[in-house]
Amino acid sequence: MSPLTRGNPGETHLMMGNEAIVRGALEAGISVAAGYPGTPSSEIIETLAKISDDIYTEWSVNEKVALEVAAAASFAGLRSLAVMKQPGVNVAADFLMHLALSGVRGGMVIVAADDPGALSSINEGETRLYAKLMEIPMLEPGNFQEAREMTCWAFELSETLNMPVLLRTVTRLSHASGRVTLGKLPIPDRKAFFRFDGDMLDPMEGPIMTPPVGIKHQSQQKKLQQAAKLFEESPFNTYEGPESPELLIITTSICDLYSKEVVALLGVKDRVGVLKLGTTWPLPAQPVLSRLATTRNVLFVEEVQPFIEEAVKVLAAGSQLDLSSLTFYGKYSRHIPMAGEMNPERVTAALSTILRLESGPVSPVSKNYPGTSLPPIPPREISFCPGCPHRASFFSINTVLQLDNRQGFTCGDIGCYSMGMLPGGFFTLKTLHSMGSGSGLASGFGKLDKFGMDQPVVAVCGDSTFFHSAMPPLVNAIHNRSAFTLVILDNSGTAMTGFQPHPGLPVDTKGNQAPPIDIERVCRAMGATTRTCDPFDLKATQKQLLEFINGKEENQGGVKVLILKQACALSPKKRHTQSFEVAVDPDRCIGEACGCNRICTRVFACPGLIWDAENNRATINDVLCAGCGVCASVCPQNAIQRKEFP
Amino acid sequence: MQILGPTELSHRILNGDLCTSCGACADLCPYLKSHGVKIANVFACDRETGRCYAACPKTGVDETLLSETLFALPWKDAPLGHYRRLYMAKQGPKTPKGNYQNGGTVSSLVIAALEQGVIDKAVLTGSDGIMPRPRMVTTAGQVLECATSKYIAAPTMARLNRAATEGDRNLGMVGTPCQMTGLASLRTNPLARSDFEDPMGMVIGIFCTWALSAQGLFSYLERQEIDPLAVRSMDIPPPPAENALIALEEEVKELPLDDIRKLVLPGCSVCPDMTALWTDLSVGALEENPEWNTLIVRTERGEALVDRAVETGLLEIQPISQTSVDNLTLAAANKRKRALAARERLGMLDPAFQKPVEVQPKQTIMGFK
Repeated sequence: MSPLTRGNPGETHLMMGNEAIVRGALEAGISVAAGYPGTPSSEIIETLAKISDDIYTEWSVNEKVALEVAAAASFAGLRSLAVMKQPGVNVAADFLMHLALSGVRGGMVIVAADDPGALSSINEGETRLYAKLMEIPMLEPGNFQEAREMTCWAFELSETLNMPVLLRTVTRLSHASGRVTLGKLPIPDRKAFFRFDGDMLDPMEGPIMTPPVGIKHQSQQKKLQQAAKLFEESPFNTYEGPESPELLIITTSICDLYSKEVVALLGVKDRVGVLKLGTTWPLPAQPVLSRLATTRNVLFVEEVQPFIEEAVKVLAAGSQLDLSSLTFYGKYSRHIPMAGEMNPERVTAALSTILRLESGPVSPVSKNYPGTSLPPIPPREISFCPGCPHRASFFSINTVLQLDNRQGFTCGDIGCYSMGMLPGGFFTLKTLHSMGSGSGLASGFGKLDKFGMDQPVVAVCGDSTFFHSAMPPLVNAIHNRSAFTLVILDNSGTAMTGFQPHPGLPVDTKGNQAPPIDIERVCRAMGATTRTCDPFDLKATQKQLLEFINGKEENQGGVKVLILKQACALSPKKRHTQSFEVAVDPDRCIGEACGCNRICTRVFACPGLIWDAENNRATINDVLCAGCGVCASVCPQNAIQRKEFP
Repeated sequence: MQILGPTELSHRILNGDLCTSCGACADLCPYLKSHGVKIANVFACDRETGRCYAACPKTGVDETLLSETLFALPWKDAPLGHYRRLYMAKQGPKTPKGNYQNGGTVSSLVIAALEQGVIDKAVLTGSDGIMPRPRMVTTAGQVLECATSKYIAAPTMARLNRAATEGDRNLGMVGTPCQMTGLASLRTNPLARSDFEDPMGMVIGIFCTWALSAQGLFSYLERQEIDPLAVRSMDIPPPPAENALIALEEEVKELPLDDIRKLVLPGCSVCPDMTALWTDLSVGALEENPEWNTLIVRTERGEALVDRAVETGLLEIQPISQTSVDNLTLAAANKRKRALAARERLGMLDPAFQKPVEVQPKQTIMGFK
């Protein structure tokens, strides 16, 4: 039995931040949880689906729908959780704006996982501003224990205010592990029923909608004031340090750990105090103002946007404090960088400058833990796994666009295949934005022939992305007679985030049978010309793609959809299986000579291929080779040979 | 002559608008490929030397080397190059009837070479409407399908390169001077590959003064409200005709030659070769009689083929008049003179044109180069 579901309050376990959030939600007695996979949030829904049969968990088609599914449960009186990574909040934002105004019934918490430093993202989006924009309360756990406790309390808060509550986590909290002491698990007893026949303005029994906007917006403001009051007393806002510190650090989230670590390592505990805010929106005025009154220097340590910094400055400006005696350091003074994630080194640099520490900026890690400095890791390009179908797909797309020779280009989308922008993907992707935007951009590019553009346009999207947000732009393109080729890189799962199922698969979130939705039939029903190829068959794929791009098929021009179907090499059904035994015939391999110039290891560059520099020959890495056999089609000398496994 | 690599080829020739799509650089490797009538650089190759560069007739031609390799003779700077015999020639009584441009000499020679077993297969240029299509042929019927002139430049050499790479030997080929120069350079085994074998059994060149850009011609026809894909064939009658004939399904349209000449590939202006100097046999029109061809016999094996073709009734030959020879020589000399002037104008004679290109690799995303 997972410690997550054990009913032993007081026990302490090592838990990942995301698991602590799960435990908090279980302790709050949630009934429904919905989300869309996205690093660093994915483990929350995944874990809930695995460990609890009492909860309805769902991988929704996208984050907006996840939020709607969770809201429906709340409207019916249940406690519910919606989970997404930060870009997902952007997708859900439209509904969230209305939900914030209409209010909720059962406690409803939105977990947004931000990725400062863009470790697993292609932006450095910031969710905290949404709390302000949507006018909803927000909590930011600063450690693993808080992740559990805050999540649990967030449901209570939501029910007190009849408002959705935002809980913001970050990669370094979600994916790191720490000690968590368990609370009590309730016995679920809520029954779902949607009341709608009460008074229009009755939050518990009337219809749930945003009008009348004036009245609802006023009531939303009142709820926020109530939240601010509750936050004044919250134990999640803490202070550690001397009564009148020379420098006051105001921080939130995981930056609390960095700040306290650096204060201790630099030996400035008697000079520096740390005010950690856990209830960051609306800002609790009293704890902040009373601390500001005890110091002359303030440093804000936070990631991405100067959110706390601005809020505190606004608060200070409207207070009785003598601002001329206060100096603020932070992102505006450039003591804390405006981009990238925080770390102890960055906090050290800021503290050293502000406190004029003689040693200057030092790395606390190497200084205090001798022997921990390791030689630098050899640089290695990010690339596709051995046997990845995307490598073959991009090899073909790139080849075809170059052969066509009209400077055609490919609009990228979100998934492992985003790496198509890198050398491992032959630099094939020329645009890369949000989910589904590759198809939307292609729809727009495909209309520019009127202005002399004759470059062929290709868009790629994954199977999960197709359902998430590529369908509307595809409909748009077909209806508006745009012309482009959409290549759907169907690897049979939401591979990048860990093979979560999507509507195209015959299983649901819990692995039970579910009706699959056939991508090709959907596209054909929309009116696109469709074909399916195996990307490992380079010749057939390239031939089909050339036909689509040259527009020689029936339905010349228009929208073409090529589905390149081949399961991910790491997918549970394919892992540790090999279709071919692959070997290099050293007598045929010409290495770096003209006629080849080692296209296998220099260009195709599957990690399963090794360049044996000593012998000037390619060889196969038997450990890594996934046996897809594609490199045999790439080798112009037929030196790479594949033999089907019996 | 220093052999450089794909960087210089791409930079100076392909991107420099000097390429005449002969296809000599293409399909030798996985990087440079022909598609339709175009040459595409599929992936980047960073070799400092390459057969692609050596094969290109525009990067520079080592006439001394070609002469010694193909004819075992020192190069003499004569407008018609090395030759053993000059004839006027036409199809023989045994040649199947076909749609020949002039005397049907080329088709007759290829059929003879195939029938005699001099070659096993031949790479020719067929067409699809006005669009040329390189083809591999093995029968007389297929040879006839490829008869008559094509006016759009075609990468026929790429088809030959593919066949040679796949191990075909004893090949025949018919091509224009640029294609034949590319082929000749490749036959010198420019990078001294140990596995090199000359794949050619018979090389037949055709006279050429210029070729058209497919893209240019297509856009021009579209501007004349002619669907390029509906054109059955195109013909340019010998002087003094001033119009090109464009045959459509129902009618033949006439378009001014002055317009058509503007669509000539810029790379043709630097070509010094009119009669295909580096071949076994070269064939062209005979100005005074459109029923006949001019036939230049350059090699011993070319001569043997002509003799056997005559013996077997596939070819008819007659002595050529001195006037014809003089006119041809003058025309060839003039083309060479114009080309050298153009090369000088374009800086191709500058020693820097033969030096490696220093290209700064593009800074790519994530700092990779």
